Amino acid sequence: MSTIERKYVIPGDTIIEGDYRPLINAIKRNNRVISTRIGMAEIVRKDVRVIPLNGTYYPRLDDTVIGIVADSNAFVWEVDINSVFFGILQGSAVLGRTFSASRDSLASHFKTGDCLIAKIASFDRTRDPLLSIYGPGLGKVSNGEICKISMAQVPRLIGKKGSMIKLIEENTKCKLNIGQNGVIFINGAKESIVKIKKVINIIEKQAYLPDLNDKVNDLLK
Amino acid sequence: MPAVKKIRIIDSMRRTDIENSLKQSKRLDGRAILDYREISIETNVLQKTSGSASVKIGDSEVLAGIKVELGRPFPDTPDKGIIICNAELLPICSAFIEPGPPSEDAIELSRVSDRGIRESGMIDLPQLVIREGEDVFAVFIDIAVINEDGNLFDACSYAIAAALHGATMPTFKIENDKVVILEKVKPLPILSLPISTTFVKIGDKILLDPNAEEQTMCEARLTLVTDDKGNFVSAQKGKAGGFSFKEFNEMIEISKKKGEEIRKKIIKNDK
Repeated sequence: MSTIERKYVIPGDTIIEGDYRPLINAIKRNNRVISTRIGMAEIVRKDVRVIPLNGTYYPRLDDTVIGIVADSNAFVWEVDINSVFFGILQGSAVLGRTFSASRDSLASHFKTGDCLIAKIASFDRTRDPLLSIYGPGLGKVSNGEICKISMAQVPRLIGKKGSMIKLIEENTKCKLNIGQNGVIFINGAKESIVKIKKVINIIEKQAYLPDLNDKVNDLLK
Repeated sequence: MPAVKKIRIIDSMRRTDIENSLKQSKRLDGRAILDYREISIETNVLQKTSGSASVKIGDSEVLAGIKVELGRPFPDTPDKGIIICNAELLPICSAFIEPGPPSEDAIELSRVSDRGIRESGMIDLPQLVIREGEDVFAVFIDIAVINEDGNLFDACSYAIAAALHGATMPTFKIENDKVVILEKVKPLPILSLPISTTFVKIGDKILLDPNAEEQTMCEARLTLVTDDKGNFVSAQKGKAGGFSFKEFNEMIEISKKKGEEIRKKIIKNDK
């Protein structure tokens, strides 16, 4: 079993010297692996990666994301997924193989401003990520509100084995959909949504607190 | 890197929320439709300027700086000083603004800010003349937008008004046919205080002081600038929609009333 070494780094910090491979947010100069972000450096065997403490969403395969349709043309919808990349949802991926650009108008299915829950179907950095809305719980959503959180705090909002999200849902009778890109779709009563937004704000700002679950519990009651 | 379109998109659920709340003449941030957000004005914030002001309207924040320097008059106006007004949208102010040549919005902001002061005759330009046709004082007004959350027209207008109101200009003497600038300063000759008010129309409702979301989804936008005597000195209409005659008259009345309130605030702040 290999040991994992972790430490906090800032840009320019030497993480380790020697025969190591920089993977994510790290570069190699003169046999030294240097961090390019503020975050937690992780050394696994000969691989070095830095998990940033903050930042924008970087798409990964099979992530569930929540996006807003920004534009559409004859073949694809462009979806704002809170990243430097736009998500691309192909017309054929929604309408099926019989889709014809001359017959079907994409704008009549999803309009600009519509909210979609989607999965990243393929992504390789050189092109915008392809989205898919086939699957349970995916597709267009309405009747609710959208709220954003820093993508680095998404795991804290979900909590250990989903404890935090369970706590919020049980106390407010709302349904939360959390995208890996830091966009949250909340479905429920208006008053509860206001309450949840406050809670999310607290989670984002005080994510370091050890008794965050208790604090949120008090706030919801 | 893929090209990213920098546009503000309002999702349809938020749009419906805004529209529904406007039907009851309320806004989502709790304001009435003809309310301003909290305005805070601070003058003389920059040390090396002749006058400066920082204005916040809600989350919108702009900084204006004035510099009065020696210059040559324009050939067609030898008996007047010079005003040069420039507004800049910095990339730090919003996620939707990129570095590079100024966008249409930035140019519009700059032009509207300039027009307000120029057409109101705010600065007594003949008083800036040292020697007719040869030497005059030039007033440089630079505005930097620090944070963008809608209604930058008004924020810039107040920042300029507040900065000019407390601005100074150098004194001079002529020695051996040369203009010598002295260290002593005197107040800049100010004749009036133009104040702008910006309205947007969403559905059939007229809103004052739109925030970024309201400004994005509005059908029409109108900026009216009034001076001390209640005269209208400049106006700017934006977006494709229109206003009815009745709505226009309403806005004129509101603009005068609100302009007076804000003018008092700026004068009070300066004392």
